[in-house]
Amino acid sequence: MAEHGHVEQGQAEEHGSSIADHLEYWTYKFDETNPFMQIHVDTMIVTATIAMMLVGFALWLRGKIIEGAPTGAQNFVESVVDFINTTVNDNFPVHNPIVAPLAFTIFVFILLCNTIDILPAYLIGNIAHALGAPAFRPVPTNDLNLPAAMGVSVFILVLYYEFKLKPVHFMKELVMEPFTSLVPIYLKPIVMPINLILKLVEEIAKPLSLSFRLFGNMFAGEVIFLLIASLLLVGSFEELMTVGGMISEVMGILVGLAWSFFHMFIGLLQAFIFMILTVVYLSIAHQPVEH
Amino acid sequence: MSLDLTFIGQIIVFLTMVFILSKLLYTPLNDAMSARTQKIADGLAAAEAGKSAQADAEAEVKVQIEEAKQKAQEIVAAAERRALEVSEEATSKARHDGELIIQSAKEEADAEEGKMRQGLQKEVASLAVLAAEKIVEAELDANKHSALIEKVIADGVSA
Repeated sequence: MAEHGHVEQGQAEEHGSSIADHLEYWTYKFDETNPFMQIHVDTMIVTATIAMMLVGFALWLRGKIIEGAPTGAQNFVESVVDFINTTVNDNFPVHNPIVAPLAFTIFVFILLCNTIDILPAYLIGNIAHALGAPAFRPVPTNDLNLPAAMGVSVFILVLYYEFKLKPVHFMKELVMEPFTSLVPIYLKPIVMPINLILKLVEEIAKPLSLSFRLFGNMFAGEVIFLLIASLLLVGSFEELMTVGGMISEVMGILVGLAWSFFHMFIGLLQAFIFMILTVVYLSIAHQPVEH
Repeated sequence: MSLDLTFIGQIIVFLTMVFILSKLLYTPLNDAMSARTQKIADGLAAAEAGKSAQADAEAEVKVQIEEAKQKAQEIVAAAERRALEVSEEATSKARHDGELIIQSAKEEADAEEGKMRQGLQKEVASLAVLAAEKIVEAELDANKHSALIEKVIADGVSA
């Protein structure tokens, strides 16, 4: 990784001096030998904080909800709810009371997680480091665990509805569509396993693409922030006093600002995409069987 | 960048959030919104009903005013007709009375005239009888002829 040693000569060994350092998690290992038996404390702290803030907000708002003309926070949240309801109603053939709250939670939660990226790239990491944490990644959507958890949860829900609403049709589709139903009867036993494998790949691609899309976008955005910071921002007061250092610093701030706007837009877009794909996958599972 | 226990933790956080937010935030808001939608729809329907009721009332008022106008015209026309009738009656009655008066006056005059004529005739007849008596008397007594006539005339004049 591009270690900006020329900027921080003599401090190169310190934590936070390279991009790779900033991409490390605060990890707590339960079992040193098993890589699965560890937990990302930073991700858990941030998501739990966001969750508690959301619940607190919900409790605070709940007492003030009025049926008359809404104002302030209620008005804002209602516009989000209305937007989600419209999206769900446009896509869903039947009414399912779970889908809209699910989509609402996904949208709000991912959007809030992504919005943490508006804070300066090093800020929270450095604060946490000063408080004694070995490393801190403030944006939980940068951690594959969060997108994967949501993607897998949605996938399990989709499978649940597929098996609950049309089990026979779903199993039949796994082995018959799209190839097996096209070949003559004596070829069917041969084509069936191939069809099943392709179909399984197609199904598993859903949670994979869902989670990796969000993770990849947010991770790349974070890396670009770190690149801008490490390439353009100066490391010391002496260097800031030089002409080149001053120009570099101003450039860094301007470019960082521009990328911040763009990245916030990407965060909103990714939250929306995750939400709408969840609704679409669930609506496919709810689609009545065609004869 | 590896999956680990955080994955399980995140699933728990996510599902808990879905559950809590759907109970605490989404459902109350959605209920409030649908209640408001219902209220607005009811309000609009009520406003529409009120508007149509007002239109009905206005139409009713118009009809009543029209009826009242017509009635008033009828009353005025009837009164005019009655007045005309009354005046005509009075005129014809006066004319009738006048005619009666004239007739009775005429009859009276006629009766008076008849009476006078009868009296006159009687007088003339008695005069003629008287004159004839005198003439007949004188024929009988020629001598006394002239003296008689003179006497009759004198009587007649004196009478």
